[in-house]
Amino acid sequence: MKDALNFTAYLIYLPAVIFLTWYVAHILFKNSRVFMNDIFGGKVDIALSTNKLFETGFYLLNLGCAFLVMDITYDIKDSRSLLEVLSAKLGGFSIYLGIMLFFNLYLFFRGRRIAKQKAKQAEALKSTGSLA
Amino acid sequence: MNILAYIIYFVLTYLITVQAGFIFYRNGKVYILRLLNGDEKLTDFINKMLLTGYYLLNLGHVAFSVHSWNTIESRMELVTIVTTLTGRIMLILAIIHFVNMTVIFLFSKYKKSIFSS
Repeated sequence: MKDALNFTAYLIYLPAVIFLTWYVAHILFKNSRVFMNDIFGGKVDIALSTNKLFETGFYLLNLGCAFLVMDITYDIKDSRSLLEVLSAKLGGFSIYLGIMLFFNLYLFFRGRRIAKQKAKQAEALKSTGSLA
Repeated sequence: MNILAYIIYFVLTYLITVQAGFIFYRNGKVYILRLLNGDEKLTDFINKMLLTGYYLLNLGHVAFSVHSWNTIESRMELVTIVTTLTGRIMLILAIIHFVNMTVIFLFSKYKKSIFSS
């Protein structure tokens, strides 16, 4: 069994990345509803839809990347190199997920800021209109 | 082994594509409805056309990509090729999805600028 250890590596890698992605997406999009509500000014249907669409895109993108880079091209010969390869792959994927997480957070904060600015402008316009 | 790989690959990609397409279909409706000022009939039509096109594109791509596979000799090769290609399909889906969202967002922005100025 020359390829036994490669197969073991895959068997560890796949559940690990699926669980990691699920966990991050779960946490992120459970809490992003508040942001979405702020961004869309309390229009619940469109806020929830946007949340769901972003969640699906997040899963597709990250799991797609994880599956695409899974391939280990050389034979793993002992348990030491198995550990090293696996930790490099999982660590790299964790860093990538973290960057995606912060990018998403940045998008949410930015959307919220813009929505607030727009609301302020609309209010200012209204008050000047009523003065004139 | 190749037949087994094809079966796993088709089932996996079919499930992912249909599931994701259904989510997009259900949640995208609100956007198109708002874009068309609540025209229900046209929205349903456009939404269904988008879904059909999406299915045709993706399932067609899945079926087409099978013709270039090499002979699979071990279970490791099977896992590798199925996972890599599934990952590729998922990435393509994600890119199409984000492009779609950007286009709808740009449309709504353009429309707003027409009506408010």
